[in-house]
Amino acid sequence: MPGRHSLFWKLAFLLVGFCLLMIWLSWSWGRYMEQKNLFLSVEARKTLQEYAAQAEQAWNQGQEAGVDAWLQGMTQREGSWVGVIGGDLQTLSSRPLTPRENQRLTFLRGLDWPVSLHARGLPWLRVPFPGDPDAGSLVIELPQRFMPGQYRLLWRVLTNGVIPGLFTLLLCVGLYRLLVVPLNQLREQANAWSADQLNARLSSQTTSRRDELGELGRAFDQMSERLQGTVSLQQQLLRDLSHELRTPLSRLRVACDSEHSLAALRERLSREVDGMQRLVEDSLQLAWLDTERAPLAAEEIQVQALWEMLTENACFESGWPAQQLQCELTAECWVRGNLNTLAQALENILRNAIRHSPLGAVVSLDGCREGEYWHLWLEDQGGGVDEVDLERIFAPFTRLDGSRPGNGGFGLGLSIARNAVQRQGGQIWAQNTEHGLRLHMRLLAASL
Amino acid sequence: MTPVSVGHPRILAIEDDLVLGAYVHEQLGRSGFEVTWCQNGREGLELARERSFDLVLMDILLPGMDGLSVLTYLRQSHSTPVVLMSALGAEADRISGFRLGADDYLPKPFSMAELRVRIEAILRRVALDRRPVAIPLNRDSHSLRFDDELCDVYFGQQWAGFTRSEYRLLETLNRSADEVLSKAFLYQHVLQRGYAPHDRSLDMHVSQIRRKLKAIGYGEREVRTVWGKGYVLSAVDEGA
Repeated sequence: MPGRHSLFWKLAFLLVGFCLLMIWLSWSWGRYMEQKNLFLSVEARKTLQEYAAQAEQAWNQGQEAGVDAWLQGMTQREGSWVGVIGGDLQTLSSRPLTPRENQRLTFLRGLDWPVSLHARGLPWLRVPFPGDPDAGSLVIELPQRFMPGQYRLLWRVLTNGVIPGLFTLLLCVGLYRLLVVPLNQLREQANAWSADQLNARLSSQTTSRRDELGELGRAFDQMSERLQGTVSLQQQLLRDLSHELRTPLSRLRVACDSEHSLAALRERLSREVDGMQRLVEDSLQLAWLDTERAPLAAEEIQVQALWEMLTENACFESGWPAQQLQCELTAECWVRGNLNTLAQALENILRNAIRHSPLGAVVSLDGCREGEYWHLWLEDQGGGVDEVDLERIFAPFTRLDGSRPGNGGFGLGLSIARNAVQRQGGQIWAQNTEHGLRLHMRLLAASL
Repeated sequence: MTPVSVGHPRILAIEDDLVLGAYVHEQLGRSGFEVTWCQNGREGLELARERSFDLVLMDILLPGMDGLSVLTYLRQSHSTPVVLMSALGAEADRISGFRLGADDYLPKPFSMAELRVRIEAILRRVALDRRPVAIPLNRDSHSLRFDDELCDVYFGQQWAGFTRSEYRLLETLNRSADEVLSKAFLYQHVLQRGYAPHDRSLDMHVSQIRRKLKAIGYGEREVRTVWGKGYVLSAVDEGA
């Protein structure tokens, strides 16, 4: 069953309504026109009534002879059969009626009767004398010029052809506006994409529709949003990556030209290769997290155990004593997610916090349960960042200069962390505190 | 780590890059392996079918026939361990390699030390798999009681509550007491898969083992990290 806002209903109402309208129109108009065309015109009635008056006058003045004389004149004037009969249906002229004429006299139409269009020949009419209707009547074969329905064909063409045609045309215009105009907009957008205008969007008129075409339009817009995001991210990544690779390459070039000892050269070489390898791996990881859409395998993870695993590594890397990395969380904090990506995210923000902390500072992890989620935060004492940069630090290759101590890295850590957390349905954002930066994460709690 | 098999392990290296192939050939030869080097996928498959090797080391992009197809055909008749190496670092490639039956996946660039560790891990695992079930020795070593049925250890008055993987890991470490076991070997033997840098399952298991041993009050020995090498179960260093 199509939904309430489905196009089906619009089309159904339109088409059913149209069909009913057409049937009603052709039925009622056709009938009206037909009727109209069966009756004599006013002029014809007037003329024929005058004839009847003349016939009565002729009868009253000259009886049989008067009628004969008048009839003679009439026959010349009209050319069709004319007779005058009395109340007893006998002719009032001297010429007797032929049997055929007699037969026809037995069915005569009144003036205001409809004329049969199906009868052969012209109809005969009886017009009573206006003065004394009982005295007699004029019988006349309707002259051709008074025959109604001369424009019958024209009317028929109009009611059965032109007007339904016009209405159908209107229906077509309606359907076109309903269906084809949005499709044309989609086509224009697709063409705009072909011409590399990825910022082209559909008009709000299309996207705010509540039917299937509106859904299509919104899906189209979402797709272009995603496409534009991906393309610009890829372009940015490529630009930044080549820029970042230039730095170690130029250092290698310098080392190559200078007069280092072999051991020093080898040591330098190995360091730069490590750096470049890490850069390439991080970039690939970021690209993979961003483009891969398949759901990650999820498991239940105890954050305390994860933290212990990460701090062991971090202490080894940075030479920090373990007491400076504190975890306020209890053993009850279990989250649901993908171990590898979550570990990577937490490790990256931990490394980031350590890198930007002054000597002897403390980095601590804390959190609280919020309904279905665990809200965790990692706090450092590195002085924080500008408010405007709180979002920017998650963009790839962003390195803030100035205030925060510490350097190194390619500015990919937090981007990877954000992508990794988002991939498993979590959120990550930053906030400044009195002493430093606080990174918040909202992760799905494990259902134990 | 000492190679377990007697004599020189035979390795078939299928690598079309002349520089890397020659280097691998020379370095592995120097490390005591008997290396056959071949540069074409189709020829490599013939060789692997005709002669018996302890391990096949193979690139994915190869002339003649690509590495994944070679692996597919080889798996129809042989169970020789296969290590794939590729510059295609993509996760999807690694996954499809494992699905087709590869024993490990080594992304390029890699160091020779890394390659040796991976090869030794697989050879050692194969040797362990072939060995008849060992009679448990020293089961109550250092007052920690291992129970194979329950997959758990007992100390003092309580069970530690290990999961199957955690138990297997601790048991493996216990069996080779005081010997550093590489992550590559532990992945092969305990988790039965190849090791990848972003894979943290083993580290997480170690973290949980430490927590659970601590919870039952066992402090005689601990699982220690040997940086750049692996893990070892050894006596707690009082000086640390």
